Amino acid sequence: MARPSHHFQSAVGRKVVMALSGLGLVLYVIFHMLGNLQVFEGSHALNGYAAMLRDMPILLWTARIGLLSLAALHIVLAIQLTLRNRRARPVAYAVREYRQASFASRTMVVSGLILLLFILFHLLHLTAGVIDPSSADRLDTEGHRDVYGKIVHAFQNPFIVACYLTGQLGLGLHLNHAVTSSLQTLGLERAAFNRLIKAAGPTVALLVVLGNVAIILAIFLGIVRG
Amino acid sequence: MNFTLKIWRQKSPDEKGRFVTYEAHDVGSGMSFLEMLDGVNQGLIAKDEEPVAFEQDCREGICGSCSLVINGIPHGPDRGMSTCQLYMRRFPDGAVITIEPWRARAFPIIKDLVVDRRALDRVMQAGGYVSVNTGGAVDGNVLLIEKDQAETAMDAASCIGCGACVAACKNASAMLFVAAKVSHLALLPQGKPERTRRVKAMLDAMDREGFGSCGNQYECEAVCPKRISVRFIATLNREYLRAGVVESGLPAEPESPHAESA
Repeated sequence: MARPSHHFQSAVGRKVVMALSGLGLVLYVIFHMLGNLQVFEGSHALNGYAAMLRDMPILLWTARIGLLSLAALHIVLAIQLTLRNRRARPVAYAVREYRQASFASRTMVVSGLILLLFILFHLLHLTAGVIDPSSADRLDTEGHRDVYGKIVHAFQNPFIVACYLTGQLGLGLHLNHAVTSSLQTLGLERAAFNRLIKAAGPTVALLVVLGNVAIILAIFLGIVRG
Repeated sequence: MNFTLKIWRQKSPDEKGRFVTYEAHDVGSGMSFLEMLDGVNQGLIAKDEEPVAFEQDCREGICGSCSLVINGIPHGPDRGMSTCQLYMRRFPDGAVITIEPWRARAFPIIKDLVVDRRALDRVMQAGGYVSVNTGGAVDGNVLLIEKDQAETAMDAASCIGCGACVAACKNASAMLFVAAKVSHLALLPQGKPERTRRVKAMLDAMDREGFGSCGNQYECEAVCPKRISVRFIATLNREYLRAGVVESGLPAEPESPHAESA
């Protein structure tokens, strides 16, 4: 048997793994956004949803470990490929003009870094509760952890709102190129679907960012109250 | 027309290069870019200076010899054509034009604007042979190939191997080149027997030569003088994935040739 692992050592192989891990994370980001939209249904819905997730520790921790390993894999491969790509052109051009590379595609490293910093901030903020200890876990009237109250409290703070909006900017930019690009890397190409594939990145990016920003701004502008 | 040219001069592979500014006077608007450079070189020779080295051959856009990054774009501002097909009327009178060689680790500079593109030949060689039977010519229409299939294969086969895709790529990747070669053969029945081995060997060779990886920015497609589509890169990726699946089911050591008849 030829070892399949060898197949993923090449540049294309690594890119395939990057595309798959990235798509896995995109799926999570979509579900994350959809779940959080329950903010608009009030504290009962959101806290119940959070409690339901916590009631399944195996699922919760599998998801957490899975997501962390996907992200780690994605980042390690990104660093490897980027270093390799830098080496491929030791002397830069004096004049450089792009003809059709999108802004998003040219800023993948930057948007990826913004995203990484934002994810760390987000985990420290809402998951670990390190950044804003004043919003420690309280219980709501039904004995669930008051996630709703915590979020409403957080997004009244302009600093935190600014951090989250910056994170969404990074997310939107990254996904804009990433989704379409990963489909190309996986070899998905048919003349009939080309427009669909081309539109996939911007559409996913727009929907996810709109959903997330709606939550942040609705609370910040006082449309959703505690 | 008059132009100011900033041209990359480099005596040899190991020496440090630099930009030198030249004036091109009385250039006809119907002159091609290479003819304009010929004029500049005549002037240099008359002054007993070393002429600018650049590559050219057919000057009709089919040989893939000419190169040159002109104002930051390989093969210059027009789409779907090579430098030899670019005419000076395309530039405003008095323009400053920067001329650089292809820049990539896999394309070391030999002199001035001439780079060593043999890395592409080695990638081709790694692809190996196609199975074509010797003997009398095959009867016509024995191998039926769908019209669309034949046209698509021809689109890929129109690659002239100039290396503009590498020059334009942010990562100096040769993916469009390899994609064109792999797709062309994988689409035709003549290339099918070796397709699994070929795609792996050619991509391994691409990595070995020091080309970067694809970022799906599609700058390559925009500068390709033959307008080869990046859909072939998807085809290449698919071929590679297929090779991984197929190969994982094959025995690593080929069985003895007589095992089957036993």
